[in-house]
Amino acid sequence: MATKIQAVRGGRLASLGVVHLSLIASLVMLVLSWAFVLGWERQQSFSFFSTEAAGRAWGFVEDLAGVGRATQPAYADLSEWSRTARLAYDTLAMSVLAIMIAALGALVTFMLGARNVMRGGSLLPLAIFALVRWSWAFTRAVPELVWALLAVFIFSPGIVPGAIALAIHNYGVLSKLAAEVVEGMDMRPIEALRSSGAGRNKTLLYGVLPQVLPRFMTYLLYRWEVVMRTTIVVGFVAAGGLGMEFRLAMSSFHYTTVSLLLMWYLLLVLGVDAASAGLRKLAR
Amino acid sequence: MRSKSADTTKPRRADEPTLFESRRLLTLILVAALMWSLFNVDWRDGVLHTGGISAFREMASALLTPDLSGEVLAKLIGSVWRTLAYAFAGLSLALAVGFPVGLLASGVLRADGAAPIRRIARVILAGLRSVHELVWAWLFVSAVGLSPIAAVLALALPYSGILGRVFAELFQDVPEGSLRALRNAGSSESQVFLYGRMPFVLPDLLSYTFYRLECGIRSATVLSFVGLGGLGFQIQISLADLAYSRAWTFILGLIVMILLVEAWSGAVRKKVIS
Repeated sequence: MATKIQAVRGGRLASLGVVHLSLIASLVMLVLSWAFVLGWERQQSFSFFSTEAAGRAWGFVEDLAGVGRATQPAYADLSEWSRTARLAYDTLAMSVLAIMIAALGALVTFMLGARNVMRGGSLLPLAIFALVRWSWAFTRAVPELVWALLAVFIFSPGIVPGAIALAIHNYGVLSKLAAEVVEGMDMRPIEALRSSGAGRNKTLLYGVLPQVLPRFMTYLLYRWEVVMRTTIVVGFVAAGGLGMEFRLAMSSFHYTTVSLLLMWYLLLVLGVDAASAGLRKLAR
Repeated sequence: MRSKSADTTKPRRADEPTLFESRRLLTLILVAALMWSLFNVDWRDGVLHTGGISAFREMASALLTPDLSGEVLAKLIGSVWRTLAYAFAGLSLALAVGFPVGLLASGVLRADGAAPIRRIARVILAGLRSVHELVWAWLFVSAVGLSPIAAVLALALPYSGILGRVFAELFQDVPEGSLRALRNAGSSESQVFLYGRMPFVLPDLLSYTFYRLECGIRSATVLSFVGLGGLGFQIQISLADLAYSRAWTFILGLIVMILLVEAWSGAVRKKVIS
């Protein structure tokens, strides 16, 4: 049996120099990280794993559930549901606006950042390529929440600053994914078009886009799921949707409202997951 | 959108009219969704903040003059380390949870697929990944108090859900052909997993984990917003002071860190997958 196992393994795990080193480095980082985290934890006035902490956690869960309160918990109150429905609606709109702006940005730039399209040309295409690639790396590296912190200084409160922040980050993500599809394209139909005399635009229209767009839409829908999960987080700082209300409820200790908002959040996340799965079938 | 014109140019084969229609339908839905979301923007008061343009100008000029004083740089190094520590500790915990649960969710350990266990594991994974790490962090900090463990747990929960789902798919997608030899030799399903599936998916597993490390570092930055130190926290307090130059120092530090990790994980993935 041993030789058969070798046969399975042989082809796939080829040279391991970099990989071995990286694994060792990761293990070292892992040990150092845990040492740091646990060491720091010991300096805290309380331990995360103490009975005191467990008691506090349980108290918090009771607060969320509204146990022992004279008033009706917010999540059991229909008028509270209808009051917050508007926020859930805004949050959904924010996620759609964000992914659409990101998609438009990606559609405009993805060809300009694809290696096989732009490389080997003269200086100008090369400069554009470098600029576009750099813009993707820059926007992608900064998380949505940081973009949101900056956007609130520029855009008026509402769904726009959050949507812009989400869009900036996802523009980098989506563009890079789309460029990778272009770089891995089947070149035969494109060669065929070129050899039959199609110009640059026609090759793009008839050769490239039909191959790239279905994959692009699939990525777009996947990213929409991620965006939906992040809208609440962006809303914490961007003054829009469920996130803002979550923050207010947290800081004014209205914990049953927090539960209600979390329920809305879960409904939206699950709804968007289902919608995205359904729409992805259309893209295939 | 351009996609529409591209779709209409696709050669329409008689055997797949629905495919053609469904893509056009999807494009229409996406355009309608864009219209709907634009309709929900409050245009009356103007999209820009009063003074938004001057704030933008100040930010842009501060980008060219980041604060490089010794004090800020020392803080930068300290918070980069803290962010990395959260990411590595959180991801290792996520692996420890995601791998076994993902294995159960894949149902490859038993010939009958172990449907009930599989379904439970799937629900657990879906639940774990549906809540964003910052929401978890906030709940933990409110429940127990400021502790680095809160950050690690908050990162580990959604990441174990994501890793578990992807691992489960990888285990399932091993082509039957490469397992036939083991099956013919009379191996049990767990032996098939250990000697057939596991060696086969190991490169993809490693590759995906390294990709997630990249994401984990970005998430760890965000986590610190609830007051747990780290890069995100520094960016937040700099912006609260309107110290754009200082904020950019931390943001640029974050970008350099992410790009380095991306290059590293990219190199590992290339080696592992080839």
